[in-house]
Amino acid sequence: MKRPQKLLRLFGIIFALSLLVYFPGRKMAREHVNSKTATTDHPLLCTSCHLYTQKTGIISKLINADYLSPFNLTVSADGKRLYVVAQEGKALLVVDNETQKVVNKISIGNQPHSVVLSKDGTMAYVSNQWSDNVSVIDLINSKVIDTLKTGNGPAGLSLSADGRSLYVVNSYSSDISVIDLSTGAEIKRLPAGNNPTGIKLSPDGKVLYVTSRRSNIVPYGEPVISELTIINDSTKRVSEYKNMESAYMMENVAFTPKGDLGFVTLIRPKNLIPSIQVEQGWMMTHGFGIIDRKNNGRVIQLLLDEPNAYYSDPYDIVISPDGKKAFESSSGVNCISVIDIDSVRALISKASPEMLKTYSDNLGISSHYIIKRIHTGANPKGLALSPDGKKLYVAETLEDKIAVINTETLETVSSLDLGGPGRITVARQGRRLFNNAGHTFQNQYCCYTCHPDMHEDGLVYNMSGKDMGRNVTNTMSLRDIGDTPPYKWSGTNLTVYKQDGMRFSTYLTRTETFSYNDLDALVAYIITGIHNPPNLMYNPNGELTEAQLRGKAIFERSVDNFGKVIPENNRCITCHPGTYYTDKKLAYVSTLSKTDDSILFDTPHLDNIYASPPYLHDGRAATLEEIWTKYGKEDKHGLVGDMSKNQLNDLVEYLKSLKAPEYDIKDSKKHRAKNKSNQD
Amino acid sequence: MNRIRATIIFFIIVAIGSSGIFFSSCKKKSMDGIIIFTRTTGKAENVNYITGTLWRYIPQAQIVELDPLKPGASVKILTSDFYSARSPQISYDGENMLFCAQQKQTDPWQIWEMDLKNLKSRQVIKAKENCTDPAYLPLGRLVFSKSSVDDKLKGGHSLYTCNMNGSELQRITFSPHTYFASNVLSDGRILTIDRQVYPNYGNPMYIILRPDGTKTELFYKDPEGNILSGQGLETANGRIVFIESDNDKSATGNIISISYNRPLHSKVSLTSETKGDFHSVFPQHSGKLLVSYRKSESDRYGLYEFDPETKALGKALYNNNDFDVLEAVEADKHERPKKLPSEVHMDIKTGLIVCQDINLSDPQLSGKFSVLPKIFNVEIMGVDSSLGVFQAKTDGSFYLRISADTPFQIRSLDKNGHVINTCDWIWLRPNERRGCVGCHEDPELVPENRRPLAVKKSPISVPVHIKKIKEKMIDTE
Repeated sequence: MKRPQKLLRLFGIIFALSLLVYFPGRKMAREHVNSKTATTDHPLLCTSCHLYTQKTGIISKLINADYLSPFNLTVSADGKRLYVVAQEGKALLVVDNETQKVVNKISIGNQPHSVVLSKDGTMAYVSNQWSDNVSVIDLINSKVIDTLKTGNGPAGLSLSADGRSLYVVNSYSSDISVIDLSTGAEIKRLPAGNNPTGIKLSPDGKVLYVTSRRSNIVPYGEPVISELTIINDSTKRVSEYKNMESAYMMENVAFTPKGDLGFVTLIRPKNLIPSIQVEQGWMMTHGFGIIDRKNNGRVIQLLLDEPNAYYSDPYDIVISPDGKKAFESSSGVNCISVIDIDSVRALISKASPEMLKTYSDNLGISSHYIIKRIHTGANPKGLALSPDGKKLYVAETLEDKIAVINTETLETVSSLDLGGPGRITVARQGRRLFNNAGHTFQNQYCCYTCHPDMHEDGLVYNMSGKDMGRNVTNTMSLRDIGDTPPYKWSGTNLTVYKQDGMRFSTYLTRTETFSYNDLDALVAYIITGIHNPPNLMYNPNGELTEAQLRGKAIFERSVDNFGKVIPENNRCITCHPGTYYTDKKLAYVSTLSKTDDSILFDTPHLDNIYASPPYLHDGRAATLEEIWTKYGKEDKHGLVGDMSKNQLNDLVEYLKSLKAPEYDIKDSKKHRAKNKSNQD
Repeated sequence: MNRIRATIIFFIIVAIGSSGIFFSSCKKKSMDGIIIFTRTTGKAENVNYITGTLWRYIPQAQIVELDPLKPGASVKILTSDFYSARSPQISYDGENMLFCAQQKQTDPWQIWEMDLKNLKSRQVIKAKENCTDPAYLPLGRLVFSKSSVDDKLKGGHSLYTCNMNGSELQRITFSPHTYFASNVLSDGRILTIDRQVYPNYGNPMYIILRPDGTKTELFYKDPEGNILSGQGLETANGRIVFIESDNDKSATGNIISISYNRPLHSKVSLTSETKGDFHSVFPQHSGKLLVSYRKSESDRYGLYEFDPETKALGKALYNNNDFDVLEAVEADKHERPKKLPSEVHMDIKTGLIVCQDINLSDPQLSGKFSVLPKIFNVEIMGVDSSLGVFQAKTDGSFYLRISADTPFQIRSLDKNGHVINTCDWIWLRPNERRGCVGCHEDPELVPENRRPLAVKKSPISVPVHIKKIKEKMIDTE
C-alpha cells in the first residue's frame, strides 16, 4: 500500500474513533457539567472545576501567586516613611515616601493585622492575628527583636498615653492584653465586646475606645447590640461598655482633635426583617457611629448610603488634624467617603433623640455631610494621614497598592506599587468578587458583608425562601468548605458552583448573575483561598488536655454510661467522622421548629467550631453547651441523656479543640520531631 | 512540487477569503456619529397626557437620520413606508432601532424594529390597540406602552414586555394608571411616567420597577406638580435628565437633571435661565446633551447641543422651517443595563406583602392632625369594593397574601374606623414578595431592624371574608 493511502486510512480510523468518543463523551461531559453547575449552558470547560480549584501541587503553584495584601498602615512622625502591614505577605513593608519605593520588607508572623510606632519612632509593633503575638521591630536596623505573647487573635494596637504600655486587642478571645513594654510581659487582660478589633487613645490621653465587630449573642428576634469598650488609661481598667444598638461590624475608631467626638465605622444589618427585597435598604445599611463625649456620651448613628447607592463594608476612619473632615473607607465599593464634620455637628446639635433615631435609618441624610466620594483601587482597608494632614494613604488590599489622596483637592494624586505579582490569578479575581458589592443590587452588600474574614457574621437571617417569617437561618462559615459538600443547611446545593449560581442572584443579590468566568473565579477562591486560622485558643500545639481527651472518648463512644450500646446513628462520631468531622450526609436531629419547613439538615463540619456561635441551623443555641442542655433533650442529636454535667463539659472542651486538618499535619510533624529529639 | 502547488493554492484561498471579508465589512454601513430623530410638521401643542394624543401619537411624523459631521447635508428619511413614525430607540449593539409607527393613517400604532444596516423594518407587535414608546430590555426583550381595554383606564396605557419577535407578551403594570415614555436604566429597572387616572387624575411621576413588574416604587415627582413630558435618560455621571413642563397642554418645558442616587431631592433645572422651550433631551457619550430647542413659540424646534456643566446652548445641528425636531438619539453602541433575575412564577396566583409599621406615614400627614391617630385597622380596597378589614398588629405590622396582578389600595383606619391615610394603587406579581416600611412614609426611610409581629403567623388572605371583617371590627371596638 502506498504511503499516502496508508496515511489516509490511518486518518480515517482516527477520525471515526474520535467521532465515536466525541459524541457520547460530549453528552456525558454535558450531563456532568450540568449536574455540578445546576445550569444547562455552562461552557464545557474542565478548567472550571479541575484546574482553578487545585489546592496543592505544582499546578496550584503555577496558577496562583503570592500577593502582599496591604491591610493597615501608619506614617512616621516626620512623614518620610510609610509602614504597611502586608497581610498575605506576612511582612511589614517600609516605604520611602519621597521615592515611593518599598525600601525594606521585614518578615513577621502569620496574618499580621495592625502596626503602631513607639513614641520616638524607632520601634514598630505589629500584631500577628494568627500567631497570637506582637512582633517588636527595631526600625533602625529593620529587624524583629522580640515577640510579645498576647491573647487570641491580636488585631488593633495602641500605646498608652505615656508610651510605656501597649494595648493589644485580642479579636478572637474578645479581650485586651495590656503589655508592659519595659518587660514585654502581659500585665492585665481586660474583657471587651464580642470580636473586638480597633482601638484608639483619646487626644487627652485619658481613655481608649475599643470597637467590636460581632453583636452580643441574643435570641433571634432580639435587637442586635454591639459594644464599644471604654478603657481608663491611667487605671488600665474598663470604665464602660457602651451599647451600639442595631449595629455591628464596628471595625475602627477615630477621635476629633478636640476629642469631643468619637467616630466608629459600622453596619446596620436588617437580619430580623424578611429578606424579600433589596430596594429601600431592606438588607444592609452602612455608616458611622458618633460618641458625643460632651453630651453625656450619647450615641448617634448616621449612614453613608444614599437612596439608590450603598457604600458597603466600611472599614477604617481617620480625621484630619484640623478636625474638619473625616475619611471613611468602604471596602466593598472601592470608595472613600469624605465627611464634613462641621455639617455633622450642625445636624446633631439641633436634633432631638427621636429625630436622631430617624436619621439613623434615613438614606437621604448623608447629603447633609458627605462632600465627596473618592474612588480607589480594589478593596480599600486601612487609612493613614500624613502628620500635616495633607495626604491620605489608602491600603488597597486587593490591588497591592497604596493610593495617595490630596486631602485639599480630594483627588488621588498617585498610586504606590508595593511590588506584588503583576498578574491577577483566577482565585485572586474570585477574592475581589467576594469582597466587592458590585454584584449585588445597588452595591448593598457583598459576600464579605455576611461572611467577614470569609467566616460568618454571627447573625441569623430570615431568608424567606417561601413565606416570610419562616426558616430563619444561622450564617455559616465559609472557611475550608471546599471539601464538605453539600451546602446550605438543607444540603440542597451539591457544589459551591450551584450555591453561588442563578438562585443566588434571584433571591440574594437580586441583580445580574455572575458570568461564568466570574463564577469560576469565585468558586476557585472559595475552595482554595479560604482557610481556618489555627486553633491557638483551645488546641495550640496538637496536644489535648485531660478534659479534651475525656471529651474525645465520649465523642467516639459506642456504649453509654449504663453499658448499653448506642445506636450507630446516634453516636457523635457516626455523623461527624474523619478529617472534617462530617459524613457530608443529611440527618434528623430533632431541632426543627414550628416555623421550619420539614427538612433534614446537612451535617456541618466542626473545624474551629468554637469560633462560630451561635449554633444550630437557626442559631438558637448561644453556646455549644446549649445544643444539648436546652435543645437536645430528645437525644436525637447524639445520645447525651445519660451524661453527667462534667461529661458534657468534657465533650464541649473536646469540640472546642477541633481544628482544620492542615494544622494537624504540621502538628503531627512537629510532634514527631519533638518525640525524636526527646528520644535522642 | 505538489507541496508548492498546494501551498500556493492555500494562500490564494486565504487571500480571496480575507479580501472578501474586508470588502464586505467596508460595505457595511457604519452608523457611528449618526443622529436619528423624529421630525413633525404639526405643532407640539394641545397634547393629551392621559391618552397620548399629539404627545405619544403624532400624525405624519418621520424618523430621519443626520450625519452631523457633514454640515449642510440633508437628512435621510428612514420611515418613508409609514404614515407616521416616532420614538426611535437604538439597540445596545447599535445595529437596530425600535420605533412605533402607523403604516396607514387608519392603522393602530404598532411597534417595529429596523435593521440599521439595510434599513429594513419588521413588525414586532401586532395588536388591535395602539402601542407606543418601545425600549430595549437587556434579556432580548422590549418594554412598551399599550392602550388599555380596561374601562377604568379611559384611554390609559399599561406597560407590557415581550420577546423581540413579539412572543411571550406579558403585562407588567396593573393599576388604574397610565404609563408612557419608558426607559431602561443601567441598574436594569424600567423608569416610566406614571399617572393615576382612576378614580381621579393624579399628578405625573416617574416610577421605577423591575422588568417583571415587581418592586414598583416612586422615583421622582415634582413637588409643584409639574408635568413630566418625556423619557428620563441616564447620563454618564449618574444623573437623570428629562423635560418638565408647567403646562398641561404643551409637551415643552425645561431640562431637569436629578441624581440617580437621590432622585427625590436633587432637582436642578439646567435651562431655567435659557430663553425658549425645550421639547426633548438625549445624553451623548461626550457628556453633552442633544436637545430639541426653539427660541420662541413662532419658531420650529431645531436640534442643538447643550452643555449641562455650563448650562449653555451650543451650535445648531439641524434646523428646518417646515419641521419640528424631536426625540434625537445617537445611533451608537451603548452599555447594556444589568439583566435582573425574576422572582415571578406565573403558576403561583398570589403575592405577599408585609408592612413593618403602618403608623409610619407621610410626614405631611402630621400637619393635618394635632396628634397623629394610632392606626388600629387596615382596609384593603379593590377597584370596585372593599376586600376586607383586619387589625394591624400592636407594632403596626401586617402581612397579606393577595391575588396577583390585581390593583389594590391600603387604607389605614383609626379605632373609630375613620380613614387616616390611603396609599396609591399597588399590585403584586405572581410570587412577588414585597415590603413596605410604613404607609406613604418618607421614601428615603429604611426599615428598622425589628421583626414584624405579623410575620410570626401566616399571612392574612385577601379578600377577607365579610363575616370575619365584622367580627374583627367588633373585637377592635
